[in-house]
Amino acid sequence: MERYEILEELKTAIVEGDAAKARETAQVAVQEEIDPLEAVELGLAKGMEVVGDRFECGDAYLPELMMAGDAFKSAMEILRPELMRQKKETSVAGTVVLASVRGDLHSIGKNIVANVLETHGFQVVDAGVDNGALQIIEEARNANADAIGLSALMTTTMPAQKEVINALLELGLRDEYRVIVGGGPVTEEWADEIGADGFGQDAVQAVELLKSLLKEQP
Amino acid sequence: MIDFLDVCERAETGPLMTEKDFELKVLIPGLRDVVSEYEIKYDSETPVPADDNLADRVYEASVNYLARVGVYCQDTNRLIQFTEEEIREAVANAPGQCFTGEGKDASVFRVREPDDVTPARCHVNWGTVHSSREMAVDIMSANVTHPEAKAISISSVNKTVRGRQVTAGSPLEMYAGIRAVKVARDALRRAGRPGLPMMNLVPAAASAVTTIGASGPQFGARPTDGWIIGIISENKLDYGAMNKVAYLLNWGANIGAQGAPSLGGYSGGAPGTAVVNTAYFLLGLVGMKADYHLCFPIHFRHGCCSTRDVLWVVSASSQAGSRNVPVPVIWLGYMAAGVNTKMYFYEAAAYLLAACTSGADAVKMPTPAKGVKVDASTPMETRFGIEMVKAASRLDRREANELVLKLLEMYESRIPDAPEGDRYQDCYDAEMAKPGKDYLRLYDEVKGELTDLGIPFE
Repeated sequence: MERYEILEELKTAIVEGDAAKARETAQVAVQEEIDPLEAVELGLAKGMEVVGDRFECGDAYLPELMMAGDAFKSAMEILRPELMRQKKETSVAGTVVLASVRGDLHSIGKNIVANVLETHGFQVVDAGVDNGALQIIEEARNANADAIGLSALMTTTMPAQKEVINALLELGLRDEYRVIVGGGPVTEEWADEIGADGFGQDAVQAVELLKSLLKEQP
Repeated sequence: MIDFLDVCERAETGPLMTEKDFELKVLIPGLRDVVSEYEIKYDSETPVPADDNLADRVYEASVNYLARVGVYCQDTNRLIQFTEEEIREAVANAPGQCFTGEGKDASVFRVREPDDVTPARCHVNWGTVHSSREMAVDIMSANVTHPEAKAISISSVNKTVRGRQVTAGSPLEMYAGIRAVKVARDALRRAGRPGLPMMNLVPAAASAVTTIGASGPQFGARPTDGWIIGIISENKLDYGAMNKVAYLLNWGANIGAQGAPSLGGYSGGAPGTAVVNTAYFLLGLVGMKADYHLCFPIHFRHGCCSTRDVLWVVSASSQAGSRNVPVPVIWLGYMAAGVNTKMYFYEAAAYLLAACTSGADAVKMPTPAKGVKVDASTPMETRFGIEMVKAASRLDRREANELVLKLLEMYESRIPDAPEGDRYQDCYDAEMAKPGKDYLRLYDEVKGELTDLGIPFE
């Protein structure tokens, strides 16, 4: 198989959300001594871009995003050791911890944001649902995160977004992380009131917001 | 027929798996397979299909889907599974009606059929937040003065308790939950309808402990009211929800299973969302011993139920349920636009036409401004909803489809930037509890437009 064919196969495997095919093609790439960085950036990442674009146009939904993400991870299990062996690093747009805040068990919105961020090259640590402030901060510290995204779908869980920002202030860590908020009842005004760095109406806005916030970071 | 204790046992003994594996290896492929096998296809030109065969295929697909996928218990990380026989047995034994309310306000909540000439049951008011107790009481009292109102969703009163912010799961949530029930029962007494069933107990209670605590009869709740127990999207339950079921079964109170599949979420597009929504009627019966169901398929991006594809989901799954699953269902629609906007009424008309002609048993008057804006509801939306419910009972699915297509032309492109509209105090004379002149004028204009469109108001 030619180099360009392998890269195209990697991209296709991601677009189709085919984890087995992504893994097999990654193995072929290693056997054929394709540069692992190229395999990631010109194969897998291109496929993620296609899925991300389809999502933004309304032609793909959460299942397609999740399956593409799963296929990406399967291929990376093969390519990562090669990258490490050759001392090469893939570019990451930023590391983000995403969490539904204390008392909130809703996850779909957060999961969509997580998957869309991954298609745009972000490394995402999904802290899950019903997370206390310290739990979220601990995740961010462990992941050496650049940003924290806080989701709340109920008016009674919105105050827990504020708790996280207050805790960051109390711990002297507020400047370490960009904090964005989102969820059904959350508004720009609320984000301003609690001192968040921004508000994302949906996953696409969240990506743009994070890109711009992280660009501003020194 | 399986008992709820069997369900509890399965939550402790079913196959063990991570939530991610459940989503990726069970839920998503299982749903894709049934959508393909049963050839469930969305037709954007027919938001209100009149195809009984499609409705029955959606139903069969939903039985197969629930049997394949089961429901994931988040507390034990185990899969609760049901056989197809168990599901069909639960359907065969479903009572087809639910007894609600007391005294003069007692009523039987019955199932309807597609193209039914009996109007859907009118369920009034909203569980949304009002900024003061007085306003919540005024609005609830006004909404139940219509004799057509057979049940109510009670309001959340406000976000604070004596100036302190209410947060989910905290003791303040308990105070707020108890207050919501007491205030609502007082409002119903004031309106002369003390026996009217409150079918959304307990609003704004995130935790099971608040739901159970605020349900004490000393605060005004009765077993003939209804308790909403949410299925976590998609196909997940937790012990909080199951504890509520256990409590209500022991009390003999009405259990309402709530399903809100997100179009664009795990259920994918319209076909998958219709199957999941119908499967939730079944899950309510077999897994939660539900007496009734409340649902609102919703668009993942726009946060409303009035998009073309969601209307198709509402119609197809309502027909699937009403033709095959004898459990009464309350249909709830969140509208993108808010109070005192023409767009709200266009959306509400489309939603109610789609739901009512497709056999919806009860409809909640559509919720303005996606249900997230404080004080964003007035009795005028109730008045409109009741008039629309009656008009819809004079139409069949084909006629409704033609009207919905015209209505979609009037609002569809504005959904992403829908006007959020007024608050109660902006367009009502709060002192007299009467609509302002501007709102009355807009209402009359819209009704004129809709009459010209062909909606047969009385």
